[in-house]
Amino acid sequence: MQFLLRLLTWWNSQTLGTQLFTWRHGVRVGEDGQGNVFYRTRDGSRRWVIFNGEAEASRISPEWHGWLHHTWDRPPTEAPLPRRPWEQPHVENLTGTAAAYAPPGSIRRATPAPRSDYEAWRPE
Amino acid sequence: MAALRKIIVDDVEVEVDPAMTLIQACEVAGIEIPRFCYHERLSIAGNCRMCLVEIVGGPPKPAASCAMQVRDLRPGPNGAPPVVRTNSPMVRKAREGVMEFLLINHPLDCPICDQGGECDLQDQAMAYGVDFSRYREPKRANLDIDLGPLVETHMTRCIHCTRCVRFINEVAGVAQMGQTGRGEDEEITSYLGAALDTNLQGNIIDLCPVGALVSKPYAFTARPWELTRTETVDVMDGLGAAIRVDTKGREVMRILPRNHDGVNEEWISDKTRFVWDGLRRQRLDRPYLREGGRLRPAGWPEALTAAAAALGRGKVAGLVGDLAPVEAAFALRLLVEGLGGAVECRVDGTALPAGNRGGYAGTARIEDIDAARTIWLVGTDPREEAPVLNARIRRAWTRGAAVHRVGPATDLTYEVTDHGNDRAALTRAAAAAAPAAGPALVILGQGALRGPEGAATLAQAVRLAGGLGAGLLVLHTAAARVGAMDAGCTTEGGLAAALEGATTIWALGVDEADIPAGPFVIYQGSHGDRGAHRADLILPAAAWTEEPGLFVNTEGRPQLAFRAGFPPGEARENWAIIRAVSGEAGRALPFDNLAALRRRLVGAVPHLGQPGTVPANTLAPLGAAEPAGGPMAAAVADFWLTNPIARASAVLAEMSARAARRSRPALAAE
Repeated sequence: MQFLLRLLTWWNSQTLGTQLFTWRHGVRVGEDGQGNVFYRTRDGSRRWVIFNGEAEASRISPEWHGWLHHTWDRPPTEAPLPRRPWEQPHVENLTGTAAAYAPPGSIRRATPAPRSDYEAWRPE
Repeated sequence: MAALRKIIVDDVEVEVDPAMTLIQACEVAGIEIPRFCYHERLSIAGNCRMCLVEIVGGPPKPAASCAMQVRDLRPGPNGAPPVVRTNSPMVRKAREGVMEFLLINHPLDCPICDQGGECDLQDQAMAYGVDFSRYREPKRANLDIDLGPLVETHMTRCIHCTRCVRFINEVAGVAQMGQTGRGEDEEITSYLGAALDTNLQGNIIDLCPVGALVSKPYAFTARPWELTRTETVDVMDGLGAAIRVDTKGREVMRILPRNHDGVNEEWISDKTRFVWDGLRRQRLDRPYLREGGRLRPAGWPEALTAAAAALGRGKVAGLVGDLAPVEAAFALRLLVEGLGGAVECRVDGTALPAGNRGGYAGTARIEDIDAARTIWLVGTDPREEAPVLNARIRRAWTRGAAVHRVGPATDLTYEVTDHGNDRAALTRAAAAAAPAAGPALVILGQGALRGPEGAATLAQAVRLAGGLGAGLLVLHTAAARVGAMDAGCTTEGGLAAALEGATTIWALGVDEADIPAGPFVIYQGSHGDRGAHRADLILPAAAWTEEPGLFVNTEGRPQLAFRAGFPPGEARENWAIIRAVSGEAGRALPFDNLAALRRRLVGAVPHLGQPGTVPANTLAPLGAAEPAGGPMAAAVADFWLTNPIARASAVLAEMSARAARRSRPALAAE
């Protein structure tokens, strides 16, 4: 099954052509928390990623995204970005999935927030 | 009225009063003339030019029909009646031209304008305008003026009809709006850019034929075609103004006036118009029961059982508050008097005479103000107690009526001959009263009737009215008072006698009076206010827009209020709660629906069976007791916050805060 997916689909990890290209030219640079592996060519002119699982671009975290798009030269394995205490862990784009955001009152939520067209008085 | 004159309007021959304007004569002939600036209840400005008509044989130009009287028309050569054409090619062309000029500077705001759907300019552009514009230059723009938290302005939409200016100056009686500049520089402004300081300002929203003045609290919340209209009456003051309540679903979105010549003409006060956000806040939506000093939510069965148990415990006193419909007051009286208790509706301690309708509802009608030549105001500030009535007194004053006053000296927007704020001064005036030339009226406020001297003051006011040959108009501040008096909710000795020895007090919407500590209090009402905080058992009830009910206004006119929405949560209609408790207490009242209750009510009080008509009241003699003297206090402390619904409204709270700020003396640096 994995072999068939590898052979016939482009959105699961890598295709055979990419695998061959990576084997011939790729220099492994590092791996992120999700198991995505980052490569560059020997002269550094091209950078790419082999996804661990579904090829979904928004899974790439900002620090690897910056390196991948030549925004900065050194990968986060060598020069990690400064991390602020308020920063949340990276989450991929969930639009279209069951985990997508819905406002509190939305009926897409399992328990929508109660709605009322009046404000009730409460003692104290 | 002079002899009628014949006039031919579009081949229809009519006979009209020569003092009528052409626009009125055309209305008699059944032809409606388009207009923007003309308004029946305001002075004539003649500046919009939309009402142009052709006068056959007259000058070769169209005439503004709102500004021309029938007597100004010349008859034909052989004495034939003058001919007016309202649909000739000349008139149509003139209208199209006027409309094109008006639309030159009018923005294409209709999709985002609150007036959309009920806009005179929109309608008349469809009916009389042309479908294109030849104007290619930039449109005029001007700054919006700030008129306060009630009226929102979009001055680019203004067509300078000056209805708002005329209303504020003539009806509201304050010179706070005006017009500056001419031609393209013409602007409507408020005086020195200040917010309006009058409690009738909301009416300029209705008067504005375009979307230049719109309601700020209502802004962008609904469109007119999605609202359900309910024609009902107002309970914010004693006047009982005719209103229309517009609802979307369960929510009241806005309140507008209806025309009623006998009561409010077509104005309403700002408290009436903007109180609707109070209907959404602080609502009682479930019964509460006090346990260990704290109120806890309870179910209806539990609450009914507790109420029935409390009724069986000892002497019961029933108090009727300011907003209760007559049916509920009558049902409460049947229940409490059946248990041997006492009922009382004069919770503010006024000395209204029980059973003497001429004494508590007066012998005059509100309409009598129009013809009055002499008006005496006794212990009342009508500008705060009933602003629309004050505008009517002002109009009588502009027509030459003399206004005298015994009571607190406040600015009433017209000239008043002051006789001092002293009850003894009233006695002197009553002793000196001689029959007045022309119709006269004595308007008696609730401030005069409060306190131990109230009964004597009433006697002297009646003596004054008798001496002048005047009618008596008792100006109530509570919408429910006359109705509850009619229903017989009174006890000999007043509030103190009713509460004496009571172990259980049933407070039907009593929020304006202090209930003494000690007795078990059953509070029945719609809002969590003073009454609910004192209560031991809270029975949630409908507000006045949420149940059908009968209210009797200050002149004694019974009027039906209709249901515009449903009460929130578990709240129920007032009469149904009383009926349910009576059943639980084993003394079931003899009605199972509102119709049966009303039949019994009308059987007991026949004049309530004719809603809309003012019965002729008889005034039984009240003696000639003389008050010892002393000032009379104002009946209304804060115009904006007189009842629990108004106190729950954020808009009115802001108006109250602004009024308080204005009345504070300015600091030296300001």
